[in-house]
Amino acid sequence: MSGAKPRVLIIEDEKPIRGFLSASLAGEGHQVVEAETGREGLAQARMWVPEIVILDLGLPDLDGLEVIRELREWSQAPIVILSAREQERDKVAALDAGADDYLTKPFGIRELLARVRVALRHAARGGAADATPVTIGDFTLDTGARRAFAGDHELHLTPIEYKLLTTLVRHAGKVLTHRFLLKEVWGPLRTDDVHCLRVFMAGLRQKIEVDPSHPRYLLTEQGVGYRFADE
Amino acid sequence: MDDSATGTAQAEVSAVAAPASSASWASYGWAAVLMAACTLVAGVFRHSGLAEANIVMAFLVGVLVVAAWHGRGPSIFASFAGVLLFDVLFVPPFGSLGVSDLQYLIMFAVMLGVALLTSALTERIRRQAAAQLAMAAERDRLREAAHATRLQAEAERLRNALLSSMSHDLRTPLATIAGASSSLLELGSVQDEETRRTLLRTISDEASRLNHFVENLLQMTRLQAGGLVVHKEWQPVEEVIGSALGRMEAALAGRPVHTHVPEGLPMAPFDGVLVEQALVNLLDNAAKYTPAGTPVELSAAVDGGQMLLEVADHGPGIPDEEKGRVFEKFHRLRRPGATPQAGTGLGLAICQAIATAHGGRIWAEDRPGGGARFRLALPIEGSPPQFPADEEGA
Repeated sequence: MSGAKPRVLIIEDEKPIRGFLSASLAGEGHQVVEAETGREGLAQARMWVPEIVILDLGLPDLDGLEVIRELREWSQAPIVILSAREQERDKVAALDAGADDYLTKPFGIRELLARVRVALRHAARGGAADATPVTIGDFTLDTGARRAFAGDHELHLTPIEYKLLTTLVRHAGKVLTHRFLLKEVWGPLRTDDVHCLRVFMAGLRQKIEVDPSHPRYLLTEQGVGYRFADE
Repeated sequence: MDDSATGTAQAEVSAVAAPASSASWASYGWAAVLMAACTLVAGVFRHSGLAEANIVMAFLVGVLVVAAWHGRGPSIFASFAGVLLFDVLFVPPFGSLGVSDLQYLIMFAVMLGVALLTSALTERIRRQAAAQLAMAAERDRLREAAHATRLQAEAERLRNALLSSMSHDLRTPLATIAGASSSLLELGSVQDEETRRTLLRTISDEASRLNHFVENLLQMTRLQAGGLVVHKEWQPVEEVIGSALGRMEAALAGRPVHTHVPEGLPMAPFDGVLVEQALVNLLDNAAKYTPAGTPVELSAAVDGGQMLLEVADHGPGIPDEEKGRVFEKFHRLRRPGATPQAGTGLGLAICQAIATAHGGRIWAEDRPGGGARFRLALPIEGSPPQFPADEEGA
């Protein structure tokens, strides 16, 4: 990646997990600081200004959501959440509160590093729309020319489909909640209409995927939202 | 509920049995009242000018009734009373005892005979009825006892299965992880690279096996605690098939996966998270119980108001007698000569709980052409929500 070592703050109360995260991230060339509680994490974040935060949702002192809200008051550093499988609901709430991605425990280090990489890349771009064509696998999106291709055939998209697709591709590799996508594409008044979103996603899948029931690009995260594959 | 039913049966038994065992004073009272009534009827007969034989009949009926209703003692008493009343009131000289004729002795003997015979017959019938009731009650009690025993045995079986499953599925990976990691710690410096990698791979594999077991156990516990809330939402099935395949990518590595979802298949209402879990468990099952590299097929179809999801494999199939049992908790298919599978014995039980929670069902069949297929049927009820048609104008 870039020359400077990215600063990573790990807020996690379980020592063994902190240990292996820290060792793996340091091994990848990151500077790592650990915090054991939510309060300590917030204090470290103010002092040290990390470029990315890895936050466990089940902290002993503060609610994970509380930590995200306080961080988001002054920081735009990406936040990757660590959650248990039964914390489905908390996960979505955390993403809607401003977290950038999540990992379900237990996870492999490869998954973690991939999420961190994607989050840092998006942070570097600042979420600004990019006019350079994006190519992922056989798929190409050229926002400058407002054209999209799957293989060598051009996709004929409706305005809503195009907007949905550009939103997904702009955040490629990152999970986007139903609420986020609805707000981005349909505006703030339609954020509960998940059915509508599903219908358009189904249409998009038919156009982009070779086998819509075994998708290569438009991936579903059940109960959370969608993710566009990033490689 | 069961206890009260038994109680009632026993009460009936004693109600029937009581008059047989000891005729109470009330029975003698009733016998007296009945014989008095017979005397009145006999008086009416005499006034009507009926023959003496008819008057005797009136008393005989009285004795018969007493014998049938009140048993032997009161009926003997009634016979005496009948002969006495007849002799005193209807045979001249009236108002006095004077059995002058042999025929009255015969009449007494007949009445006594009728009384004894009838009361004996009645008693026998009562005893039989009582015995039958008692037998029925006993049968009920035995049936309940058998049911309770069966429930207890089932609970016992589950507990034993859980314990053996726990000790096997928790201990084996833990022992392996402890062994492999201590080997690395103490001998790592003298081991070659390949040995170290093998040990590390073992630790990683066993840890995910452990995780799989704990997750299934937790999920089953949640499902059983009744904490399962089904959030049904209308959605296309290819979405849930796709997300299940995405989660199982690593486990299915090297197997051709074929999906068959007809174009234009309607949406169905179901809980995406739960149905994904059911499909993941079915795919996991296929990955564990069929030879590596054999294909797995996933298909969807609408049939009779139901969405049918099917996972089919090209493995050895499931014997008929096991087709129902595979959904039982901790039941694991054992094949002669095969090594015990790494499964938790919970995956299919979870599938069944998910199917039931949706008002649907799941079953196993032979796949035409060899192998097994699991079919999950989810009811399609109601209609999907509508949204403004001018959507594209936005």
